Amino acid sequence: MKFSVNWLREFVDLPATTEALADLLTFAGVEIEGVEERGGNFDNVVVAQIRESVQHPNADRLSVCQVDDGSGTNRQIVCGAKNYKVGDKVPLAVPGAALPNGLKIKASKLRGVESQGMLCSPSELKVSEDSDGLLILGADAPIGAPFASLYQPDTILDVEITPNRPDLLSYFGLARETAALTSKSVKPVNVDANAAATGDGVTIRALRECPFYSARRIENVTVGPSPSWLRTKLEASGIRAINNIVDITNYVMLEVGQPLHAFDADKLDGAIDVRLATPGEKFLALDGKTYQLSERDLMIADQARAVAIGGVMGGEDTGVTNSTRNVLLEAAYFLPSSIRRTARTLNLPSDASYRFERGVDPGMTLRASARAAELIQQIAGGTPAAEISVAGAPLERPTDVSLRYERCNQLLGVTVGSQQVDSILQQFGLTRSSAGTADASVWSVPSHRRDLQREVDLIEEVVRAYGIDKIAPRHRSRFTPQSDADRAADLQSVLRQRLVALGLFEARTSALISRADASTSARGAVDLKNPLSEDHVALRPSLTAGLLDVLMRNQNMGASSIRLFELGRVFAPPDATERRSLGLLFSGETARAPHWRATAKRQLDFFDLKGAIEALRIPELGFRRAEHPAFALAAEITAAGEVIGLAGQLATERATQLGAAAPVFLAQIDLEPLCQSARSGCRYEEIDKYPAVSRDIAMIVPEALSHVEVEGVLAAANEPLVQSVRLFDLFSGREGSSVGSGKKSLAYTLTYRDKNRTLTGDEVTVVHTRIRERLKSELGAELRE
Amino acid sequence: MSHELEQLRDTALGEISAAPDEQSLEAARVGYLGKSGSISVWGERMRGLSKEEKPIVGKLLNEARTAVAAAIEQRAAEFRASAETAALANIDITLPGQPAEIGGLHPLTQMLDRAISIFRRMGFALAEGPDVDTEWYCFDALNTAPDHPARNEQDTFYLPDGRLLRTHTSTVQIRTMMSAPPPIRVIAPGAAYRRDEVDATHSAQFHQIEGLYVDEKVSVADLKGTIEFFLRELLGQQTEIRFRPHYFPFTEPSFEFDVRSKAIKGGKWLELAGCGMVHPAVFEEVNRARGDDAYDPEKYTGFAFGLGMDRLAMLLFDIPDIRYFAQNDLRFLRQFA
Repeated sequence: MKFSVNWLREFVDLPATTEALADLLTFAGVEIEGVEERGGNFDNVVVAQIRESVQHPNADRLSVCQVDDGSGTNRQIVCGAKNYKVGDKVPLAVPGAALPNGLKIKASKLRGVESQGMLCSPSELKVSEDSDGLLILGADAPIGAPFASLYQPDTILDVEITPNRPDLLSYFGLARETAALTSKSVKPVNVDANAAATGDGVTIRALRECPFYSARRIENVTVGPSPSWLRTKLEASGIRAINNIVDITNYVMLEVGQPLHAFDADKLDGAIDVRLATPGEKFLALDGKTYQLSERDLMIADQARAVAIGGVMGGEDTGVTNSTRNVLLEAAYFLPSSIRRTARTLNLPSDASYRFERGVDPGMTLRASARAAELIQQIAGGTPAAEISVAGAPLERPTDVSLRYERCNQLLGVTVGSQQVDSILQQFGLTRSSAGTADASVWSVPSHRRDLQREVDLIEEVVRAYGIDKIAPRHRSRFTPQSDADRAADLQSVLRQRLVALGLFEARTSALISRADASTSARGAVDLKNPLSEDHVALRPSLTAGLLDVLMRNQNMGASSIRLFELGRVFAPPDATERRSLGLLFSGETARAPHWRATAKRQLDFFDLKGAIEALRIPELGFRRAEHPAFALAAEITAAGEVIGLAGQLATERATQLGAAAPVFLAQIDLEPLCQSARSGCRYEEIDKYPAVSRDIAMIVPEALSHVEVEGVLAAANEPLVQSVRLFDLFSGREGSSVGSGKKSLAYTLTYRDKNRTLTGDEVTVVHTRIRERLKSELGAELRE
Repeated sequence: MSHELEQLRDTALGEISAAPDEQSLEAARVGYLGKSGSISVWGERMRGLSKEEKPIVGKLLNEARTAVAAAIEQRAAEFRASAETAALANIDITLPGQPAEIGGLHPLTQMLDRAISIFRRMGFALAEGPDVDTEWYCFDALNTAPDHPARNEQDTFYLPDGRLLRTHTSTVQIRTMMSAPPPIRVIAPGAAYRRDEVDATHSAQFHQIEGLYVDEKVSVADLKGTIEFFLRELLGQQTEIRFRPHYFPFTEPSFEFDVRSKAIKGGKWLELAGCGMVHPAVFEEVNRARGDDAYDPEKYTGFAFGLGMDRLAMLLFDIPDIRYFAQNDLRFLRQFA
């Protein structure tokens, strides 16, 4: 809420500077989010009355006005605004004026017509942010008077009021808080509220939604513009002046926090009937729109029809207009949750609903009504009726709350004396009852502080006023055993480090994906019920879509070598089961840029991707050929025989759709099994002491024979001296070549070693020959010499 | 005679050390130590010496021969070394090195890692909970009434089955308390979601570290000590920190805290996060759901906090737009490698 410091000062002595005031409130939990200086140098700005306004001969959007500036002769001003009428009083900047917004005024010709100054908008004078048309002054503004006599320089505070403190949503409320924090007194809003109550004229049929309702009739009012002092205060608080009656209801709302509504009494048909809407009931509100209501919305009706959506907005038909003579003034207490639901369902937030849904002070309802009646009488004439119609009953006083001083000290970690605690609570308007003891006091809570419900709420009041800066920080720890989450986080950290060491970059994409990405997932994705934008409509079922987006962004930005990974949660349909997942993406060149020593360029391929997965050191890792609709080449990734992921080359059709410039290699690995399996510890194995002997085997085999089959035969030979087998050469045969088409040449290095002695050449030859024979007989391999 | 031999040795050593190249050195070697070299021929002359002279001259001769041979080898080594240096003299060492690109962690991961490592030193274990959670964990158990303003489809993403995307990591407070009795000392890093229009400072998904400490006699002083220690470890010992009372439904009293630090550009106070003492109503609801009195609010108190990691990373790394995190432009990522 925006507060004028000038207005606030009417209720309480303020600290010497705005900064001190802002700090005082901020460190008591009432955060000042902004401070804005209003007004300033108004030299050469005077009150002028518009006498005549005609269309500019050469410009459709301009008018030529004759204004009375108090000098006795009319002044001609060219004006672009449309919101005035002849007879209105407005601020006039005459040549020589330097406006607060920096504009310097001089006489000039606009489209060939002379203009001896400028008529000003509120924003040009920095009296409010309103830049939509001229600032219309009150009819009481004296023509020719310096504008500075109407508008004092002011400071506007933008105050963040937390939802638990609706009592601060008024000048009186904020002043009361300021007074409590500075041990000053607040000037009360004195009203003569002695109208007799009558039960006639109002019935409540929805006592839960509306526990209390009052209506006060004021007769023979004269509706017109508000006086300048009233308009100034409303405008400083960001509310536009409309007419004196509506302005007074808004003024009282700002002043004491109770929203009011004024009906044109002559347009009402009989007594007020507070009821719930009928299902589908339609209502034309003050904003000119028709709303459809449900049986949960509270309506204010007369004997013929609804006249307001209770606490939210009045009706178009029964609003106060310039011809209104008699007014019915509503002051009520509405159930906060009901108002909140209606305002939200209708998407119709208002200054009134904002306060009602947070809870207004039930002790203020009738006083606000009386205050408004008094002001209407003063400003618009009119005679308040001797009786006020009421129905229901104001809320009961809040329940007493007890406070143990020791508990307060223990929770705050500081010793606040019981006398100081008492004095703080008393400043905030609480009263200590006689029921307490020396160790525990019992407090009665004022009607405006319904947020104070239990001991801890009172302790918060104590720390707010005592000052958290006076509490010494304490360092206390506790030994905590490692959790499952610790283990999972550490495993992921190791995986990240390995991938970064391989040269991959980590991406973090959104868990929310677009409609287009969701539709490409074979298994579908879990949709959000209420997405906000087309980019975020569903929960990602895998990391693939996000990584492909990153690929395309980088490719479009000119990246030639793209190697990425992401570790994140994925959400499996149909019930959004969450799993930790690792995604990898490779595309483009192996190196970012050519290097002066580099040999031929090479494109990243499946084996670059596979190598990165192997580098993760997943126990018992395996790959097996698989089919997948999105992949041209696909392999299931297994750990201890269980499938944990998929790796492959994206099908060209899909890659082309995306616009990928090079083949795209993707892998996704489910990390849950890895997170759950205990990390296998490493153990020392004796380092070889005796030299190894290496022998190569080159062979020609059918193209379809896989490496793993060759390895299988070698392993099955079960030769204890064979320490390792490494493939070092592979090429496919061609028609006419030594290998021949449909065949391929494989070359392996076998390393022989005995742990306990040096092998002789003859020993190795015997084993090597056995292995060669085995390859010939079991695979039909043609061995090359 | 001995004198003559010593003279010969000195002349030889002089000639060797002055040898300008390998050829002159070889000539000197042949001249002194070759078959008929001037030192070698002394072997013949020994025969004509008397018994008394022989051992004396023999010793001198051996010494001379050894000294000359060593001098030749030393000089030869000098020639080899300078030849090797000369051979490599043309290599341009200003040429670029062989690139060995290591990758990089995402700046958000780095931010999380830094923060987590500090909290772990302070005795916090990690905890976690799902991104998709129920209204009970996200709101009800956190003392947030059904009609609370935060609790609506305007601000929160819902799933068709009524579950929601957690709006804060505070859900993990409840999940942790449901799964274990006090004491609890955990941090929960994770994603949270808000139904915000995306702009330079708002993102539908953001990252938080939630903290919870429940024990006997935990106080505002402990909360202050923990937050201040963490922030000074992260931002430097000179960091200024201030707490302001605030309002959250699930803590009472509640605070926000601001920092001013040399580690962050601008020198202004910056609002960083919220914290507070766990509201007794939260303990009461957890007890009700657990069916026991493990979290007796008379016996246990606790503090909780929620730190926004995206904002912290933006401040610390001077990143102007939160959307850069999700874009993953390699030129951006490489800056933090």
